[in-house]
Amino acid sequence: MFAPETLMPALAEVEAAYELFGGDAHWQSEYRRLLETYNGRPTPLYEAVNLAARLTGGRARIFLKREDLNHTGAHKITNALGQALLARFMGKNRLIAETGAGQHGVATATAAALLGMSCDIYMGTIDMERQKPNVFRMGLLGARVVPVESGGKTLKDAVNEAMRDWTKSVKDTHYAFGSALGPHPFPTIVRDFQSIIGTECRAQILKAAGRLPSEIVACVGGGSNAIGIFSAFIKDNGVKLIGVEAGGKGLRGNQHAVRLTPSPHAKPGILHGAYSYVLQDRDGQIADTHSVSAGLDYSGIGPEHAHLFDTGRATYTFATDKEAVGAFKMLCETEGIIPALESSHAAAYVIKQAAKIKKDSVIVINLSGRGDKDIESVAKFLGTDI
Amino acid sequence: MMNRYEEAFEKVSKRKEAAFIPFAVAGDPDPDMFINVIKAYVKGGADILEIGYPFSDPVADGPVNQRAAQRAIKAGLNHRNFFELISAIRTFTNIPIGLLTYANSITHIGYDVFCKKAAKAGIDSILVADMPPEESQELGACMRKYGIGRVFIVSEFTPDQRMRYICKSVDSFVYVVSRPGITGVDATLSASVKTTLSRLKKVTDKPLAVGFGISTPEHVRDVRRAGAQGVIVGSALVSEIETSVIRGITPSSALLKKVKSLKAATAASWQN
Repeated sequence: MFAPETLMPALAEVEAAYELFGGDAHWQSEYRRLLETYNGRPTPLYEAVNLAARLTGGRARIFLKREDLNHTGAHKITNALGQALLARFMGKNRLIAETGAGQHGVATATAAALLGMSCDIYMGTIDMERQKPNVFRMGLLGARVVPVESGGKTLKDAVNEAMRDWTKSVKDTHYAFGSALGPHPFPTIVRDFQSIIGTECRAQILKAAGRLPSEIVACVGGGSNAIGIFSAFIKDNGVKLIGVEAGGKGLRGNQHAVRLTPSPHAKPGILHGAYSYVLQDRDGQIADTHSVSAGLDYSGIGPEHAHLFDTGRATYTFATDKEAVGAFKMLCETEGIIPALESSHAAAYVIKQAAKIKKDSVIVINLSGRGDKDIESVAKFLGTDI
Repeated sequence: MMNRYEEAFEKVSKRKEAAFIPFAVAGDPDPDMFINVIKAYVKGGADILEIGYPFSDPVADGPVNQRAAQRAIKAGLNHRNFFELISAIRTFTNIPIGLLTYANSITHIGYDVFCKKAAKAGIDSILVADMPPEESQELGACMRKYGIGRVFIVSEFTPDQRMRYICKSVDSFVYVVSRPGITGVDATLSASVKTTLSRLKKVTDKPLAVGFGISTPEHVRDVRRAGAQGVIVGSALVSEIETSVIRGITPSSALLKKVKSLKAATAASWQN
């Protein structure tokens, strides 16, 4: 792990505690109880018949893993509850977290309220501006939102500030990373908590379709919803795993967050404690990114995705802002589902590939969150005043 | 033959002083002004220099040093002219030059190329803020190859066993952080420094230099009295540079005065 020495004892403590936590029957049953009765798991696997009819004329089946139906509106709460319980298990009473779209911030604030912990959320001021409802929501839940003015004022900078806070506050504070990134053991912890998405989905698709899916499509910012759903299918070599990054305004220039499609900016590097693919300039300075969706607007990518990319087990592609907003609208119109702009990137890939989808394919899209938070951004993108 | 660090620490020890180690970010606020800053440091009595390689996302640094890095990057500091600046410093001083950097800046260039250029330019040690000894084997081998010393950080949270491991991995000096957290200016110095230094003295005889939050001659005296052989002052000097930039004046005269007063405080008596 590539972390400042001042964090090393804290990371070792988290690693040791996480192992004990995993084997502790009491805490595990408490986690399962909250997932079922508070979080709303298992989330449904819904067959999007209208969307499949529109895109493929019914020659393929498309399923949506409804992570948008989680409490607080995205998959993030599953990890936040796990990390909050882990913090309590370690005897810590304060949670800090970074947030981009605000979904992880809301999820962490929610878990903190539930477990009676104090909570500070770091958020770039640009993200605060485009996710106002979530900023207000965090305040309602009793968390303090700390505006981050440094650097590009988005997710990357919020992680910097949260890490700085943690180096000062490790004694009583747990840093609940929101995505499968950061220094070890966080990518592992977040993957493990989110792997329930894949476990549920595998059982559900076998029941609904009587077979494994041809492909699973998920959007990738840091990559927690994707690694969560991929994890249960990694050994099923017949199942294509497709990660969709934020193509922003396209790959020309640097107005995007595409780390795994070859470009002059995407290179192996070290950011926030992990060795992975990182968008950077020719001097190794981390590049700022752009995406219409705040949750995908990050210069690095979880190290497990870098591994799946290197080994070829997963394929990574991208959808532009425009394509994502198009998918957003199509899901609203065909299925009556308002998806998060992040998740819309996954749907956009399927729409783009529609003509190539083979007969009798079974496609699963991980619908990682709901899009109520994005209404303003979408209206702005479409030039509508609300 | 003694290396520059051994010479520097021996020299101050004979004078019963601690080594004064001022810090600046390379190229801040611009390449020319940076050289003037370093000249003021040397003239004011610096025994060792600590130079930061500017990185966009310095997670171990506070806002003052992050702004300095941003100024330097904006003023055009890159991995080509960086080494030229170090060579320029070498034309007027022979005191040790330590480099403080982040892992991505080195991996981006490649360990071997980076170390070769660094040694050629006159860098004596490298501390990578986000690369603990466990991850430093390969870089360490390159540094040895080119005669560059390793420096690692120890804090009050570092357990004894890890302290021993880190001290064994260190060549030039042990960088002791005065308190948990990041670089920055504090009003008071943490009382835990003394405890950390006594714990360290039980496991190593390598030079111990204290940094983070040291901004006044009083802090320097406290750290010296607590048993430090070196005192690193960063943000307090970097904010002087920032103030000069805002006022549109050359930073050298104010810096010179500050550096002299900080250096004078390193002669405080060492109370065991």
